[in-house]
Amino acid sequence: MFVGRVVGNVWATVKWPEVRGLKLLTVQPYHLADLSAESGAGAPSCHDLVVCADVLGAGVGEDVVVAYGHAARVGLEEELGPTEKPSIPVDAAVVAIVDTLDVDRDALARGAIDVTQHDRRR
Amino acid sequence: MIRGTVVGQVWATRKSRGLAGHRLLLIAAGGDRVVVGVDTLDARVGQEVLVSWGSGARNVLKAGPHNRDLLCDAAVSLVVDGRTGTGGDRGGD
Repeated sequence: MFVGRVVGNVWATVKWPEVRGLKLLTVQPYHLADLSAESGAGAPSCHDLVVCADVLGAGVGEDVVVAYGHAARVGLEEELGPTEKPSIPVDAAVVAIVDTLDVDRDALARGAIDVTQHDRRR
Repeated sequence: MIRGTVVGQVWATRKSRGLAGHRLLLIAAGGDRVVVGVDTLDARVGQEVLVSWGSGARNVLKAGPHNRDLLCDAAVSLVVDGRTGTGGDRGGD
């Protein structure tokens, strides 16, 4: 899962029948620098955006948690009901609308939380 | 699995039913990347944790194989006490 800000909608006329009626959003994931900055997410960069389905009613400007893969489909079928569940061709979905991101920005900014101890990409 | 450092928590009232009762942590996972994981181990801000993905994450919440109804794609699977090596560019681990 990741947390990000809703920056837009996607709509399409030609789509797989199971996706019909699903709202699609574009979400810009938060990076570490966005969390330590008071203002939140910066200007959206197109290469970074994730398209995800939404049944919770998130709107542009809201912060959301997005799940991937099977968890995304589980999140959708909870809302859409069991009859519509099995074969939704979706791999990302909004599973929560954020009230608060509880982050100690000062501690992050001054390096009191050591986020580099594992800084080795795998 | 990835290693990461807990940097905060997510609070949400409007969420999928499958997430009810679960604590969601913000975890810095190297570089600028931040992931959200379900926490059952009471990990604290600043602690280093291991995050499992996919079915491995579901197994943290409920042992498989009959756990495909769970809504979870990332979960804290352990809190790191210590390790050898320094990681990063400074050596192996």
